[in-house]
Amino acid sequence: MTPILEVDQLEKKYGDFSAVKGISFSVEEGEVFGLLGPNGAGKTQTISMLTGVIPPTSGTARIAGHDIKTEMNEVKKVNGLVPQDLALYPTLSARANLNFFGRIYGLGGSELKDRVEDVLRIVALTDRADEAVGNYSGGMKRRVNIAAGLVHHPRLLFLDEPTVGVDPQSRNHIFESVMRLNRERGMSVVYTSHYMEEVELLCNRVAIIDEGNIIALDSVKNLIAILGGGIIYIGLEQVDDSLLEQLSNLPAVKEAILSPPPVVPPLAEGEEPMSEAEPVVPNPIVKIVAENSQEAVVNVISFLNEEDRPLTSLEILEPNLESVFLHLTGKKLRE
Amino acid sequence: MKSLSIALKDLQIMLKERGELLQLFLLPLIFIIVFSGALGALGGSEETQRLPLPVVDLDGGEAAQVLLDGLDAAGGLQTKHYDQADAQSQLESNDINRMLIIPADFTTVTSQGELAELTLISHPNADLQETEAVRLVIVGVASEMSLENQILASLRQMGDMQANAPEEYQVFTTDRVISQARSQFETAQARPLIEVIETVPAQEGERPLVESIGLVAVSGIAVLFVFGTAQVTARSIYDEKKIGSFRRLLAAPMSKSSLLSGKMLPNIIVGMIQFTVIFAFGVFGLKLLGLNAPTLGNEPLSVVLVCFVICLCSTAFGILIAAIARTENQIGGITSLLVWGLGIVGGAFIPIAFLDQFLGPVVKVIPQYWANRALSSLMLRDLGLADVTTEILVLLGFTLLFFIIGLWRFDFD
Repeated sequence: MTPILEVDQLEKKYGDFSAVKGISFSVEEGEVFGLLGPNGAGKTQTISMLTGVIPPTSGTARIAGHDIKTEMNEVKKVNGLVPQDLALYPTLSARANLNFFGRIYGLGGSELKDRVEDVLRIVALTDRADEAVGNYSGGMKRRVNIAAGLVHHPRLLFLDEPTVGVDPQSRNHIFESVMRLNRERGMSVVYTSHYMEEVELLCNRVAIIDEGNIIALDSVKNLIAILGGGIIYIGLEQVDDSLLEQLSNLPAVKEAILSPPPVVPPLAEGEEPMSEAEPVVPNPIVKIVAENSQEAVVNVISFLNEEDRPLTSLEILEPNLESVFLHLTGKKLRE
Repeated sequence: MKSLSIALKDLQIMLKERGELLQLFLLPLIFIIVFSGALGALGGSEETQRLPLPVVDLDGGEAAQVLLDGLDAAGGLQTKHYDQADAQSQLESNDINRMLIIPADFTTVTSQGELAELTLISHPNADLQETEAVRLVIVGVASEMSLENQILASLRQMGDMQANAPEEYQVFTTDRVISQARSQFETAQARPLIEVIETVPAQEGERPLVESIGLVAVSGIAVLFVFGTAQVTARSIYDEKKIGSFRRLLAAPMSKSSLLSGKMLPNIIVGMIQFTVIFAFGVFGLKLLGLNAPTLGNEPLSVVLVCFVICLCSTAFGILIAAIARTENQIGGITSLLVWGLGIVGGAFIPIAFLDQFLGPVVKVIPQYWANRALSSLMLRDLGLADVTTEILVLLGFTLLFFIIGLWRFDFD
């Protein structure tokens, strides 16, 4: 397949701060591609550069063969943007909003009318299209927000956190709309979210983004496979290297490491460093990457009982994108 | 075309905001009614704001003294006697801006109830509004004198008739005297016996006076409120950014200049509608209310052109505010200071002539001042387009300056 989007070393800096740190990825025609990361990871900045809202500091991207640095006007005709904000005029009706957004893409006359009716059908708001958007529920506003990004029939649709603050019914409706657009019209979609369930459900491939970097990029299945059978966190009173080695060698356990890593206490002013100083591990937690989480839990607990090492805590994470993110960054997606 | 779509959308939104419509169109009319009345009472200004008025008194008689006392007592002016040759010389060198000449036969002519002419000569560079204010004070005092003279002449005539024909004594009843006085009062108002001829040496001929005191408020308040639409432009851009639609517009296939043009166009349209509504009310509404009503002067098309330039300037001002204000409160604060504050200082409610005494050249950095000058020249003094070229160029200069700074500081990100 031909990529509709090829991103090459795209970077956005504000003074010394890099919001996006030279990322590269591509999206195939007809693909639903996910950008998963916590708030502030650089997802919106990436989309803003790709849609011409802000210029990149360095690097570039090609969309449908057009360079975003030199052919942005052509790029904009291909793109559709559904911003994170409810970018609608609340005193105007849904139909008036859609007519306006259609006109600024050069549509008019019967073509505009037909397109507006079409997108109203897609988001199931034909019956209430003449009401002021300000009177809509949050979910309905989100649906109009999506319709406004679709009215000019873009080949590549950027959906930036489209389900924030949406009730479950509207969320499902948004999912169905995205899947239908992709399936029936072959529309390519770049979908950003910090909800891993959405990305798992909708996306063929996912780039996990954190602090402006892509830290993993693959299909959902392959990303989850990084974790094998899941992650187990166990709290212990004391941990040493030999214990970690013994845990790693247990059946169904792939790897056992200390989490968080040991910290060397800071020296007091004038104090000489001592060669025999031991790193301090506050509330040591051991992270166990399992090949099979249930079997590994049984083996780990049996072993610790035999060794007479009491557990202070136990947490089992099922293998999913959330635990992949935690595994890769040490942070939760919604921290 | 896309700019037009943005403009139409903004106008559509504006039409749904009733509060904004009231502020844009109804509030100026209320202000005009109030301030037209207040300015009608001009002549009772404070001692501290007196303008010097060089006077060449060729008469030196009783009526001339009454006139000079009246001008000093009016409060806005301070008369100062000059020799005619000296005054002429100083006027030519622009050491004085204007002078009033009282003709040699002033006392004789007025005492006979005949028409007397006072001449107010202004230097071509004299401040137009200041000259207009001076003229208005002279007209006011002259009207009072004219009325007094005509009533006295009438009573004197009745007394003579009574003395010469005592058998007809019964004819002069109290009712007859009151009726005669009223008739003279109306005649004095319609055909004053003292007329003020205003001349400017650089211009040919003499122009008759235009009674237009209500216009000071009409044009001043129109300028104030049209500049007030700068706030609408700034707020509209702020709202677009706040709700996120600005990002959507930036992502659409249109240039940034088209986007800004689309945001500016409604301001120009609304400004022109404001001028139309306010001037229509000024011309017809004030007349119905019994107040002095202005005209559009001798060149209405020039007035339209000046109004358009003022709208452009106000719009560029809006872009500047949108560029420098980061919050809604900042928009409010900057607008209060630059639009309403400077608008008032620039001659919205009080003729610039009085403010000029305090501020001097400072007023010349206020765009509203130039807007008021241009409209006053065309509508108050019946001047033409050629006479307001400087004002138009200065306003266009402000427009360019605001737009360049606005674009430079505008945060598209």
